[in-house]
Amino acid sequence: MSVPIDAGGAHELRLEGLGRQFGAVRALDSVDLVLRAGEVHALMGENGAGKSTLIRCLAGLERPDAGRILLDGLPLPSGHPAAVRAAGLRFIHQELHAVRGLSVAENMFLDHPYPRRAGLVNWRAVNRAAQAALSRLGVDDLDPRQPMTGLGPGDQMIARIAGTLIDEGGAPPWLYVMDEPTAALTGAESERLFAVIGEMIAAGAGVLYVSHRMPEVLRLSDRVTVLRDGRHISTRPLGETGQERIIHEMTGRDLSALFPPRDALQHGDTVLGVRGLAAPGIRDVSFDLRAGEILGVVGLAGAGQGALLRALIGAAPRRGMVTLDGQPLSATPAGAWAQGLAYVPPERRSQGLMLGRSITENVALPHLERMARGRFFLNRRQQARRTGDLGAKVRLKAATLSQGCSQLSGGNQQKVLFARALAGAPRVLLLDEPTRGVDIGAKSDLYRLIRQLADDGVAVLLASSDLPEVLGLADRIAVMQEGRLTHLKENSGMTEASLLASFYDSGDAA
Amino acid sequence: MTARTIFTAGALAALVAGGAAAQEVAVITPYLAQPGTQFYVDGFTAAAENFGWTVNVIDTAGDVGAVISRIEDVTIQGVDAIVINVDPAQIGAGLATAADAGIPVVGMDAGSDPLVAANVTSNGYAMAAETAVYVADRIGGAGNVVMFTFDPFPPVQARGVIADAIFGNFPDIEVLDRITPDVSDGGIADSRAQMEAVLAANPEPGSIAAVWAAWDQPALGALQAIEAAGRGGEGIVITGIDANPQARDAIAQGGNFEASVAQDFVGIGSVTAETVKRLLDGEELRQKVIYVPTELITAANVGAD
Amino acid sequence: MTGLVRRFGGIAGMLAVVLFFAINVPDTFLTLRNWLNISQQISMLAVVAACMTVVMVMGDFDLSVGSMASLSGVVAATLFTQDWSIPAALSAALAVGLLGGLINGVMVSLVGILPFVATLATLTIYSGAAFLISDGRTIFGRDIPAAFGDFARGGPVIGMAGERALVLPNLTLVALAVVALIWLVLEQTTYGRRLYAIGGNSEAARLAGVPVTWLRLSAFLFTGVGAAVAGLMYASRVASANPTQGDALMLTAIAAVFLGMTLTRDGQPGVLATLAGVVVLGVLDNGLTQMRVDSYVREVLVGAIILAAVGFSALGRRGVLGRRP
Repeated sequence: MSVPIDAGGAHELRLEGLGRQFGAVRALDSVDLVLRAGEVHALMGENGAGKSTLIRCLAGLERPDAGRILLDGLPLPSGHPAAVRAAGLRFIHQELHAVRGLSVAENMFLDHPYPRRAGLVNWRAVNRAAQAALSRLGVDDLDPRQPMTGLGPGDQMIARIAGTLIDEGGAPPWLYVMDEPTAALTGAESERLFAVIGEMIAAGAGVLYVSHRMPEVLRLSDRVTVLRDGRHISTRPLGETGQERIIHEMTGRDLSALFPPRDALQHGDTVLGVRGLAAPGIRDVSFDLRAGEILGVVGLAGAGQGALLRALIGAAPRRGMVTLDGQPLSATPAGAWAQGLAYVPPERRSQGLMLGRSITENVALPHLERMARGRFFLNRRQQARRTGDLGAKVRLKAATLSQGCSQLSGGNQQKVLFARALAGAPRVLLLDEPTRGVDIGAKSDLYRLIRQLADDGVAVLLASSDLPEVLGLADRIAVMQEGRLTHLKENSGMTEASLLASFYDSGDAA
Repeated sequence: MTARTIFTAGALAALVAGGAAAQEVAVITPYLAQPGTQFYVDGFTAAAENFGWTVNVIDTAGDVGAVISRIEDVTIQGVDAIVINVDPAQIGAGLATAADAGIPVVGMDAGSDPLVAANVTSNGYAMAAETAVYVADRIGGAGNVVMFTFDPFPPVQARGVIADAIFGNFPDIEVLDRITPDVSDGGIADSRAQMEAVLAANPEPGSIAAVWAAWDQPALGALQAIEAAGRGGEGIVITGIDANPQARDAIAQGGNFEASVAQDFVGIGSVTAETVKRLLDGEELRQKVIYVPTELITAANVGAD
Repeated sequence: MTGLVRRFGGIAGMLAVVLFFAINVPDTFLTLRNWLNISQQISMLAVVAACMTVVMVMGDFDLSVGSMASLSGVVAATLFTQDWSIPAALSAALAVGLLGGLINGVMVSLVGILPFVATLATLTIYSGAAFLISDGRTIFGRDIPAAFGDFARGGPVIGMAGERALVLPNLTLVALAVVALIWLVLEQTTYGRRLYAIGGNSEAARLAGVPVTWLRLSAFLFTGVGAAVAGLMYASRVASANPTQGDALMLTAIAAVFLGMTLTRDGQPGVLATLAGVVVLGVLDNGLTQMRVDSYVREVLVGAIILAAVGFSALGRRGVLGRRP
């Protein structure tokens, strides 16, 4: 059963010359865009292309410093989330803010007043309204009374979308902005979400769909807009564009300028041998990593790239055989670091840094014994000297080494983690999303550093969702699908498109 | 005047300046929150006021170690005398400090110690004698007596010794049983259970003439046992010691519980003040323990105070 | 300017407290004898608080230290009654402290119970054990060897003031030794810096090769043994032991660490800062007693001063008292 969504007529949201400056960075530069009810509009662009700034401006969380936003020809006041809400826009984020312990219906009613009877919450009416809203999305098999935590992430997202359909007396929502909605979803969950999107469009709503995932974009969207470096590059009907063209427009820049040249392959012996490795999130992974080699590990989000690195450093329990220079590798982080592995975790704030502590303390942490007198007593002078040397090597920009890491920029925080990784002169470097959220200058520094390390004989395992980065740096590329390593090939003649394609082929048979 | 009611920095400073002329006595106790201790302190401060002293009452809230610390503090401050209300054996370090500084320490129902100039207390021997003699007189010097004693605690053990001696002096009094009750819950419940056993073993009326208890709780337990057994009419005489409120109630009702002995807490406080005065006046005390008279409480005088 | 207030406000506050007493108790407060006296009074608290700092740098805490102090005193005293020698009885009491710390560490680190819950439970267990062993009674008098009680009363003579000798109390020396040891461990060893790393970011520390589980476990051995040492110091000072005599140490020790944290630049616990907090609490007790402030008023005042110090520090850190320079 499906009841039409009242989208309140054919609305149109027009962005004219939208601009936003952050320090020296022009995050949005004079962007024009028209969003209409009744269609899926895909917004594409690399990390840092300006997508999230644009969404934040739309949501009223960020105030543009140039241009304006018009709803049906009338300007929307900028910087007012409430006004945006009243104009009928709704935002669905990849990170759900479900309240644990509350039911599905209660989560759907988080933004709305509960129906009451005699001053008390009328739970029958709450559950009935929740059920009705779910039905309008064609979802009849979710019980609104069950706890939200019992739902998978996909159904949680659908419940939150349904929550926006609960009649609250104001303008009905007509435009949904979805930011990487499938990032945490399985294939089946994504399918269910796509069906819901279909229902929404059929009922006259519009969707601005932001995603890195080419196949979804090609399948769902009516029109595709590409942003690059904060500028609007193109908006085309899907029929006039395609995968190759979108990727070309997205990447645009000359990749070779950002990535240091790769020498002819002259790798050394195998340093890290992995045979039949299984751990939470991965199974039956085997490969060899050679000295001086950069091995890129790619795949859809959550396909096992991060889990592989965590298993290697010993942060997760594992089975199978891992050898370093032919010797068994310790299964604890302490042992792995001591044997010559170094690890840069994906989340620098929660997994990497002690934000309240100095740069020196952060760099020295895994190497306290090596920088000590008699292994046990601290040698602060040696710590400071080593940190100074490494800071220069990674081009760290900081006032003093006793500065707290919370005051550093994202790029410099990441450089602190690289300095930490290099302090022990590692044999193997495990990098998980090493340039996530890092500005282009720091990125370039880090790329040069990674290549230089490899040239010095370090074996590098580079897990990244940034495909140009992997294509630009890696000597070989491993593709993972649902925890398994499905492709392992030399990085020659590969494109983002062919790489993306390999995320799906053969693995889909499973 | 005490510092207790005054609190601002200015007033405190004024008090320090004004206090230099008056003699100053510190009263230090871990037990101020207990009712008996408050009577001691009230008696002491009332007498001290007459002498024109400044009194500083310090409570360490059960912390005996802190009593030592506070003795050290007031010793350095240079008080004229210190009154303690805690076992001197546990605060030897503090007593040594005070003695070293030549400051006299007087015990207010505290216990004896070479470093305590005098301890003012009730005479436990005399209290036991009062009730034991009462029992012997009431039963006409003949009959079976049940005793409740507690030898592990020295002050109570002393009471038992006196009662033994007095009953032993009457050839026709026989001590039927000498019971040490379990005191972990106060003593009433186990005393009652033990008494019930004695009653069961001696079913004939008149086979038990009296119950003498070294303190009130066993007496109350025995009373419950006798009444529950329906033998309240046999004229069994019960006595306790301490005259706590529950015991006074029982005595006032005119049943088997006939007598107890009351300590004069307020009197101990005021006599302590007088003892401090004698020391401050330079008198050499010959008697290291000073006893304050106690009072036998019976139905005749139980309502008097 | 506001940066200065934040950096040195706590120290200025401490000096203000000392100055206040120096003015109001002019004849005695600033004498060496009085400070030796204070040092002895705070010695037990200093030991417990220093050891508490070890777990608090990891963001944990140990509520069982007070009842462990009581238990160790009772264990030693009970063994004295059974004619154990002083060294043997003290060793046994310290072993009990080690065991108690081990239980806390295992529960918190290996089993994964929140420190609050785990040590609240062991607080009750250790307290109950102290009552069981002592039968609820105070052990004193002839049962306690004279040499044990004399230890707390003695100490090297360091000079004369008039007729009377100035003694550096043995308890003060013990406390100084413990504080020095903890300072060495926390500030000068790789072990100590790893504990700080766990407090800074436990997950980051683990991924950087810090054996978080074992370090957390081991840190609780410090509080266990430290509490046992303090309990023995207390038992020596009162020449007796009862099953509740150390209980008050726990809350005061935590208060001292918090008070100390207001003195450090980054708001982290540190053992010297903790010592400063302990001294402030000891000075307040000593000075207010000498000013004849009523015991109950004194408690209210001490609590209010802790609240004021920590409150100002929190406001300063949030920048309410002015922006960063």
